[in-house]
Amino acid sequence: MSYIHFPVIAVMGQFLAAFLVAIFGSKSRKASQAITLIASACAFVLVCLLIKPVALDGQIISYWMGNWEPVSGYAIGIGYEMDALGLFFAVLVSFIILMSAIYSLRYLEHDEAVDRYYTLFLMLSGSLLGLVMTGDLFNMFIMIEIMTFSAVGLTAFRNYIPEALEAAMKYLVIGSVGSSMTLAGVALLYAQTHTLNMAQVAAKIGAMQASGGLTPTVVFAFGLMFVGFGIKSFMFPFHTPVADAHPVAPTSFSMVFSTMVIKAGVYGLIRIAYIVFQVMDKSSVQILITAFGCVTMFLGVTMALAQHDFKRLLAFHSISQIGYIITALGLGTALGLTGSLFHVMNHTLFKALLFMCAGAVLHMTGSKNLDELGGLSKKMPHTTICFLIAAFSIAGIPPFNGFASKWMIYQATYEKAVESGNFFYALVTVVAVVVSVLTLASFIKVTMSVFFGQLPEKYKDAKEAPASMLIPMWITAILCLGTGVLYQLVDRTLTAPAVAASLTPANYVDKMMGSGYAASFSVKDAVATAVQHMSYWNPVLWLTLLVIVMLGVFIVILSGDNERGPVLKTKEPVADGKYATFFSGEKYRHSHMGGSDLFWGFKHDMKPYFDFIEEKHSGVLTDYTLWTIVAMAVIVVYTFVFVK
Amino acid sequence: MKFKNGIKEKNIIVKCGADAIMPFSLMFGFYIICFGTISPGGGFQGGVIVAAACILLYLAYGHKTTTTAINEEFIRVNEAIGAVLYVLLGFCGLFIGVRFCENVFYEFFNIGDPLSAGTITYMSYAVGYKVLTGVGFLLLLMIGTLIGGDDDEEEVEA
Repeated sequence: MSYIHFPVIAVMGQFLAAFLVAIFGSKSRKASQAITLIASACAFVLVCLLIKPVALDGQIISYWMGNWEPVSGYAIGIGYEMDALGLFFAVLVSFIILMSAIYSLRYLEHDEAVDRYYTLFLMLSGSLLGLVMTGDLFNMFIMIEIMTFSAVGLTAFRNYIPEALEAAMKYLVIGSVGSSMTLAGVALLYAQTHTLNMAQVAAKIGAMQASGGLTPTVVFAFGLMFVGFGIKSFMFPFHTPVADAHPVAPTSFSMVFSTMVIKAGVYGLIRIAYIVFQVMDKSSVQILITAFGCVTMFLGVTMALAQHDFKRLLAFHSISQIGYIITALGLGTALGLTGSLFHVMNHTLFKALLFMCAGAVLHMTGSKNLDELGGLSKKMPHTTICFLIAAFSIAGIPPFNGFASKWMIYQATYEKAVESGNFFYALVTVVAVVVSVLTLASFIKVTMSVFFGQLPEKYKDAKEAPASMLIPMWITAILCLGTGVLYQLVDRTLTAPAVAASLTPANYVDKMMGSGYAASFSVKDAVATAVQHMSYWNPVLWLTLLVIVMLGVFIVILSGDNERGPVLKTKEPVADGKYATFFSGEKYRHSHMGGSDLFWGFKHDMKPYFDFIEEKHSGVLTDYTLWTIVAMAVIVVYTFVFVK
Repeated sequence: MKFKNGIKEKNIIVKCGADAIMPFSLMFGFYIICFGTISPGGGFQGGVIVAAACILLYLAYGHKTTTTAINEEFIRVNEAIGAVLYVLLGFCGLFIGVRFCENVFYEFFNIGDPLSAGTITYMSYAVGYKVLTGVGFLLLLMIGTLIGGDDDEEEVEA
């Protein structure tokens, strides 16, 4: 039974380490790195030890701080409650934190005052772990606040870059709007249910639903909290701070930001919609969440197509992938939720890997401009292979993990369309497939312009990234392939228990408040049906096919006369002539293929659309705040009118 | 010159007032920290009162004296020490074999003693220490943004 203490040790260990870094780190860089590594490794081990009891044996850990247990049915203390859903996110958080800690050892070697970085980093990881483990609404708000403020501080870590301060300011303002919405929602819920414990709130709301529907205050609270967590997950139209924050933030933070900080919002959405409010069986809520997710994924990928900055492009892709996740979780079906959670995991893996590759390129060449870079595959082979694996995964090419989860999402949306007879969901399936194609196009552009083609003269001395950066990259790359091929194992150990936990709020309530509590408030479990996730899909066959195709490609490459030089042959500036109206002859045969040269025809044809969205992303904070407020108003009015 | 004299006279009044109030303010703050567990108050409230002495110091003696009298690096490290103490005291419950943050070590004193509340007392002290350093540091930062006020004027005129 000693494992019930593990969640709180994991969380408090991170906070303790953060303060220890603040004490001992200012003198020595080694001390802060050692403390960070030890703390993140401990958290990872502790969380992994919980997989057996929580996910496989189906227990729920309930832990009352200071042993203040509920008195006569009222929760009076702060409780931690770790079910399989929380564990699923906690495993991902602690894994990414550990990878990022290893990656940052060398990545931050040119930066000063790394003790501040590591203090904020450990606060961030502690708050993320606390967020997914807590069973208390106000505690959740506190963790979100710590998360937002440490993320803002880390965004502005390189404060000699003016853009970093600007991006941090945007994130601060929009993130604070989100926190205030969450707090207002929590306050309204407290007024209605007189408790802050999530299990007890869920029980009270279950009783409310059984006897004549939600009261307007609860509906209002749901709208506010949906907006609050939507802002934390950066769905449309709250996605604007991400794009500015990523290019200037240190990459070791970008990978946590893009993977786990925005997943914290997704976790919050799942937790409140499925367990606290239990509103996912209402078609109005399903349409609301799915529509926002759908717009998010389309807008994200089209904005990504137009980018020239490596990390800004990845930022828009993470918005797009979050769109997939929100779309699938909004379906309210077991298959949709499975696809959503599986995509959460896959996105965490491949997006962390993409950012690590982008960071390696930035660290070794000093540039993240897609139009300048090129031909780095000869200089950085490990980074190139890792990047290819990640790009295949995000583009959804079998047998990598992105395909598995996207396939589930297509199936889930289509199944929903057939079940409900609503044309909207069929449209969502089409959009999801189109977005996947556009993602592939966008990553062909990045791969061609950064890793293949001609190597510009100034990068001919570029070296491979150091081992401390390559190790986390390879671990993540192997996991990207592994989770795609062995998806059934992953499903059995992590995803399926998490889905089951999300669909059984009564279980959650009973464990926290004492058995029989849920039944007394008539909390009903959704019917969790066993689903055939992947019909006609055998990843091992696809892996074999991929290996054969790759072998063929290598044979063709090796047998061909590879006369392409490693260094750019033209001496003239690239911009001359290549963009001229008429050009002939072989003079520019070896000119560099920049990022903006690919898919120009597509962008030309869709010019009105691209002009429109690029003009709307003006970069002005007041505009973005206005979008946020308008969207909040729309969502709140929608919930009032349609959610009963 | 007249203007400068005017300021100086005002300074004397403020200085005397601050000198008189400062000991009481500090003592009041520390009292609230020390007896917070068995009477109204607590670590946070007392810490803020103690930290407010920074403002008195600034009002009476100006920016330069305040920043030389108080070592900001020392305060920064001590704020972290306060937080570490709090977490470690929370872990005391775990070491003894009960829950995190659970109240232990309360059986050695009679009810009514300040220490009779067990680890809650020490946690309250840790919070008080963290808050008085943390809020004090914040106030110093805010005072730092006021540079360009009366201090610079005095320097220029002197």
